[in-house]
Amino acid sequence: MDLILFGVAWVILSLLGEWGVSAWGPHFYYFTASTQALDGLNASIFLFRFLTPIFFFVVLMLIFVPLRFKHREATVKAQGRRARTNRPFVAIWITVSILVNVLFFLHPTTSAAEQQFDSLLPQNLHGALIVDVTARQWEWHFGYPQYGVTAAKDPNGNDVLYLPVGRTVEFVLRSYDFNHPYALGLDVIHSFWIPAFGEKEDVIPGETRYEVIDPTVITSTEQNPMVRVQCAEVCGPGHPYMYAAVHIVSDQAFLKWVAAEHKAGN
Amino acid sequence: MASVITETVPQQSRRQPLPPVVRGLIWATIGFLVVNVLMSYVLDPLAGHPFITNSSVVLGWFAAVVGWLLGVGAWEEIVLPSFGILDRSVVTGTGWRQYFAMSLNHKVVGIQYLVASTGGFFIAGLAAMLMRLELMSPTMWLFPYPGQYLTTVGIHGTIMMFSVGTVALVGGLGNYLIPQMIGSNRSAFPKVSSISVWLVPVGILTVAFSPLLGQWTTGWRGYEPLAQNDANGILFYYLGVFALTMSSFLVSLNLTATILFKRTKGMTWNRIPMFAWGMLVVSLLNIIWLPEIQMTFVLGLLDRLVPLPFFTAVGSNLTYLELFWLFGHPEVYIVVLPALALWMEIMPVMVRKPLFAREWGVIGVIFVMLLSGFVWAHHMFTNMTYAEELPFSFFTEMISIPTGLAYMVVIGTIWKSNFKLTVPSLLILMSMFNFLIGGMTGVFNADPVVDLQLHDTFWVVGHFHFTIIGGMVFTWIAAMYYWLPKFSGRTYNPKLGVLGAIWIFIGFDGAFSLMFLVGMEGMNRWVPVYPSYLQPLNIAISIFAFILGAGFLFNLLHIWWAMKSGPKVEANPWKSKSLEWMTESNPLAENFPVEPVVISGTYDYDVDGVAAIIPNPAG
Repeated sequence: MDLILFGVAWVILSLLGEWGVSAWGPHFYYFTASTQALDGLNASIFLFRFLTPIFFFVVLMLIFVPLRFKHREATVKAQGRRARTNRPFVAIWITVSILVNVLFFLHPTTSAAEQQFDSLLPQNLHGALIVDVTARQWEWHFGYPQYGVTAAKDPNGNDVLYLPVGRTVEFVLRSYDFNHPYALGLDVIHSFWIPAFGEKEDVIPGETRYEVIDPTVITSTEQNPMVRVQCAEVCGPGHPYMYAAVHIVSDQAFLKWVAAEHKAGN
Repeated sequence: MASVITETVPQQSRRQPLPPVVRGLIWATIGFLVVNVLMSYVLDPLAGHPFITNSSVVLGWFAAVVGWLLGVGAWEEIVLPSFGILDRSVVTGTGWRQYFAMSLNHKVVGIQYLVASTGGFFIAGLAAMLMRLELMSPTMWLFPYPGQYLTTVGIHGTIMMFSVGTVALVGGLGNYLIPQMIGSNRSAFPKVSSISVWLVPVGILTVAFSPLLGQWTTGWRGYEPLAQNDANGILFYYLGVFALTMSSFLVSLNLTATILFKRTKGMTWNRIPMFAWGMLVVSLLNIIWLPEIQMTFVLGLLDRLVPLPFFTAVGSNLTYLELFWLFGHPEVYIVVLPALALWMEIMPVMVRKPLFAREWGVIGVIFVMLLSGFVWAHHMFTNMTYAEELPFSFFTEMISIPTGLAYMVVIGTIWKSNFKLTVPSLLILMSMFNFLIGGMTGVFNADPVVDLQLHDTFWVVGHFHFTIIGGMVFTWIAAMYYWLPKFSGRTYNPKLGVLGAIWIFIGFDGAFSLMFLVGMEGMNRWVPVYPSYLQPLNIAISIFAFILGAGFLFNLLHIWWAMKSGPKVEANPWKSKSLEWMTESNPLAENFPVEPVVISGTYDYDVDGVAAIIPNPAG
C-alpha cells in the first residue's frame, strides 16, 4: 500500500518534472550563439531527462517517509533479515546507478568528445578564420593573421573581436605580455570565455591552445551582454576588468570592418 | 576529574603560573622576534634593512609556532616527560580552565577542536558576508580595490576548507566520540591530539591576518603562477594552511590507530559504528593526501623565497594545478565522507530500525575513498587537451555510485520505520536534500562538453557549496543537536531547533540555488565588478546569504544556550544502543570505569536489549 502510494506520487512528480525540462530546458544556457553552445545545451537537456526521475525518487522519499511513517508506534516492527536488507531493492539500486552512469559516459560524454576531436582535425579547419588571441594582465588582444590585422581595436582604442557568422573560427590562445616579453613573472593563466559560445579554454603561459567555434547568430555585446569575451580564471586584481566586446556580423560587414581596421593602421 | 589529576600533588607545592594561552602568546612573540631579527638584520639582511623580509617572516613564524606550542603546554606535557622529567608542580587547570590548556583527555580535545572550528567558521563567514555585500552592486563600492575583495575570497575559502570542512567532524566529533563509540577510555596517542588542536587557531589567525603581508588574489587554491606575481600575503596562506593541514594529519594518525587498536572486546569489524568507518576512511585519505599538498606548498614557498621558477612560464604551471587538485578533490570527500557516515549513524536511532544494508554503506565509503584519487583533473577540463578528459570524466561519473549507496542505506533504513521528526533528523533530511542537489549538479560538471560552459562560473560556486554546506555543515549542526545531551547533559528547545533548521534551509537554498542561474547567465567567479544585467539576481542572492548568516548565528546561540541552561535530560535520551551513550553525560576523564563488552550490533533496533554490557569487575 505504501509502495503503491509512493509509486504513484513518484510517477506524477517525474512526469511534471519532465514537462518542466521540456519547457525550461532549452533556456538553460539563456542565450546560445554557436553550434558548440547548442551541443552543450542538448547534452544538458539529455542529462536533465534522466536525472529528473532519480531526483524526485530521492526527494519524495525524504518527504514521504517522515509524513507517512511518523509516530508509527512499534506496531509493525520489522524484524530479522527483513529489517536489515532487501536484496531486490539493493540489486535494482546498484544496477540502475551503474547503467545510468555508463549511459552518461557513452552519451553525452564520449559522443561529445568525438565531436571535439573532429573539430580539431585539419580537414575540418579548412577555410577557418584564424584569430590570434593573446592574454596578458589585463587585456585581451586580437590579431587576424589571414587579413593582416595585428591589433583589432574599435575607434576608441579598445580591443574588439569581430567574427563573421557561419564561418568556423579557430582561436589560437597564448598568454604572454607583448609589452614586457622579458618579464616572465607577469604571465599567468587566463581563461578565454564568451558565455554565448558555451565553451571556455584556459590560456596557459608557455603553451599554445586552440578553441574552435562556429558562430551561428548575428549579434553583439551591445545586444546581449552574454556575447562578450570575459576572463574566467582569476588572474589578479584586474581580473574583473578583463573583458572585450564581441561583434558577430555578416560576411560583408566583416570585410568592411577589416578594411576599416587597415585604414586605421591596426 | 579534578581529583584524578591533583590527588598526588601536595597543595602547597603547586605554583600557578600565567594561564597557558598567555604563556603561549608570550613565547610565540619572543620566538618570532628573535628569529625574525636574526634573519632580517644578521643572516639575510636586505638593502635598506627592512624589519620584515620574506625569509625572516617565514622562519619567524615557525619559531612563533614552536614557542606557542611549548608555552601552551607542550613543554610540561610532552617535552619534559620525554626526558623522564615529570614536572607535576604546574597545574594546567581544571573545570573550564582545562579547555584553555593542552589536555590529554580526548573529550576536551574534541571540544577544543569544535570551538576552534566554529571560530573559523564565523570568521570565514564574516568574509563571505563582506563578499555578498560587495556583490550587491556591479561596481566597486565596499572594497576600494579588487585585490582586497579577492583576498577576502581567499581567506573565506582557505579558512572554511582547512579549519572547518576538514576539521570540525574529524578533529572535533572524531576526537570526542570515537574512543567512546568503540568502548575505549582514551585515544591511541593522546599527546598527538593534544598538540595538534593548538595548531588550528594558529592556522586560522595566520590566514585571517595574511593581508598584513599584502594582498593575494589566488583564492583558496593558490594557483600558480599568479601566486608568484601577487603581493606577499600568499606567504601566510602557505604557512596557515601548513599549520591546519598538519593538525588534520596528526589527528588522522591518532584516529586511525585508535580505531584499529583501541576497540573494546566484541567491537568487531562487523560491529564498529558507521561513524568510525567514516573516520577511518577519512583519516586514510588525510594520511595519503595531506603530505602531498604540504609538499606542493613547500615548493610554492620556495618559489617565492629562493626564488625558484618551478611553476612559472619557464617551469610548468600546470604541474602546480595537477598537484593541487590531486589533493583538492580527495579534500572534498574528506569534508563530506564524515557527513555521509553521520547520516547512517544517526538515522537508525531516530527511526528505531536496524541500519539497512550496512555492508553496502561500508563498501560505499571505502569506494568513495579509493575513487577520489582518480578524479582530480575534472577541475582542469578547461586546461587540458580533449584527449585527457575522458578518463577523469569516467571516474567522476562513477564515483556517484558509491556515494549513492549512502542514500540507499538511509532510504532503506527509514522506509516503513517509526520515524521521529526531531531537530537532528530534520537537519539530516535537509542535508540529504541539499547534497543531492550538489551531486546532481555535479553530473553536469562531470561532462566536459557542459563543464566547458559551467567551469569557473557561479554555477560551480553553487555546486560546491551545495555539497559542502549542504552535505557537511547541515550534518554538523544535526550532529551538534544530536549529541548535545552527551556534551552537556542538557538538550535544546525543540521549537527553536526547528526554527533554526528551517531558517538556515531557506537562507541556504535561496542563496545558492540562485547562484546556478546567475552562473548560467554569464557570471564568472572572482569578480567584485560585473556587467550590470546580473545585478538583480546578485541582490537576491545577497539577501538570502544574509538570512543564512543570521541563521547560523541563531543556531550557534541556541546550541550555546542549550549547553549552558537548556532543559536537563537523562544520559541516553535517544535510547541509542551505541556505546557512547553508555557513558555519563558530559563524561569525566574516564569514559568507562570498566571496559564494556559488545555483545551485539549497535544498530539492532529490531530486538530489545542492550548492545554492550559492563562486566562485573569481580569476574
